[in-house]
Amino acid sequence: MSAITVQIPTALRSQADGQESLQIEGDSVRQVLSNVCQQYPDLGKRLFKSDNEINRFINLYLNDEDIRFLDQLDTQVKPGDELAIVPAIAGG
Amino acid sequence: MDNDNPHSLDRYHRQMLLPGFGEQGQKRLAASTALIIGCGALGTVAANMLARAGVGHLIIVDRDFIELTNLQRQVLFDERDVADSLPKAEAARRKIAQINSQVRVTPVIEDVNHTNIERLAATGEYGRADIIVDGLDNFETRFLANEVAVKHGIPYVYGGAVGTVGMSYAILPHTEHGDSPWEKAGRATPCLRCIFEQAPPPGMNPTCDTAGVLGPLVSIVANYEVVEALKILLGHYDAVNPALLSIDTWANTTRRLKVARAYEVGECTCCKKRSFEWIEGRYSAGTTTLCGRDAVQLSATGENRLNFEQIADRLRAHGEVKLNNFMLRAQITDVNEPFELTLFNDGRAIIKGTKQPARARGIYAKYIGA
Repeated sequence: MSAITVQIPTALRSQADGQESLQIEGDSVRQVLSNVCQQYPDLGKRLFKSDNEINRFINLYLNDEDIRFLDQLDTQVKPGDELAIVPAIAGG
Repeated sequence: MDNDNPHSLDRYHRQMLLPGFGEQGQKRLAASTALIIGCGALGTVAANMLARAGVGHLIIVDRDFIELTNLQRQVLFDERDVADSLPKAEAARRKIAQINSQVRVTPVIEDVNHTNIERLAATGEYGRADIIVDGLDNFETRFLANEVAVKHGIPYVYGGAVGTVGMSYAILPHTEHGDSPWEKAGRATPCLRCIFEQAPPPGMNPTCDTAGVLGPLVSIVANYEVVEALKILLGHYDAVNPALLSIDTWANTTRRLKVARAYEVGECTCCKKRSFEWIEGRYSAGTTTLCGRDAVQLSATGENRLNFEQIADRLRAHGEVKLNNFMLRAQITDVNEPFELTLFNDGRAIIKGTKQPARARGIYAKYIGA
């Protein structure tokens, strides 16, 4: 098992020690996020509605593809993949 | 150069040289109507460029008035507009008249909500817009704009910006009968709700209040919206970007998020099930905290026009009152806290000095009467 890159949006960086991205291990999106939650519990609380459900205002893109249209949380990941957490931008 | 002929296309020479424009394209733009919802950072940039490009009719809707802190990024306004306390839509009309007199601007000083959005976009005195351009600062109104776009088959270009990050995305909606020109061309795209099922809750994301906003960023995002709008107005649906663009101007990243499958795979309430919950007012709120300001807006209370003189007389006991044809502004000290109350003649109010809807409602009730 090796690490993939998880991109943290500006809005959530304070819950990830200010980091723009994290290197996290896992075989699936679910496992990667579970490891994120362990290392950064506050960030986890912002992402998940319940143990198995991501908040509907959070979008997750694996290599720029929405995971909802792949295998959702069960989408497999491989080393070097990039998982971006993308909230909607409301300002203007 | 033929500057006297009001229909002369001379000024568009450099644009008409571009592939896909030409004289025919330019005439098509001149015959087009764009509805710009919100005339702040994104809206001023979009209105400016659409006017210069020669889009014949711009309907500019904004509920707000100009403040000094707007000038850092809201390109159509200047210090004189601040001094004159002009509503944004009206100031935009005056500025665009100087930029391109061939363009007709209809300023609308209203809060866009479920009671008026269909009239503004499709069914009212302005007719049916050819495109809706997003100059908004909140997701409630964006979901409304998105529903109107889907319900009435009007393309809608979304843009959003906060801090140093922005997004834009063009929606060529799936229509009821599937017979729009972009559907015939096989170019319909998922709607905004296919992509963002839910608006982020208050406090989830930074706002312009907490994070600020970079002037050039909003110009980038709004100009991207305008590029897509021009492609759509010219009928070049094949050139429209099917991806959601996400830019961080400080981290130097640009993403093209692939969203095209969202319609097929998803179960969108709006464009797939054709249920228009926002237009029906199921989620409407009476108050809105305004982005970038320590202020709350209260929706219009009814159809009746307010009597400003009478209200001004009552409020003068509490502090300075100014009024013009568009608005009344009063400085009020309530429980030792200073507030600025701005009242529009449709009953809508902006209470500055608080972010708490309840506090704002309280002040309105106390000094204006709910």
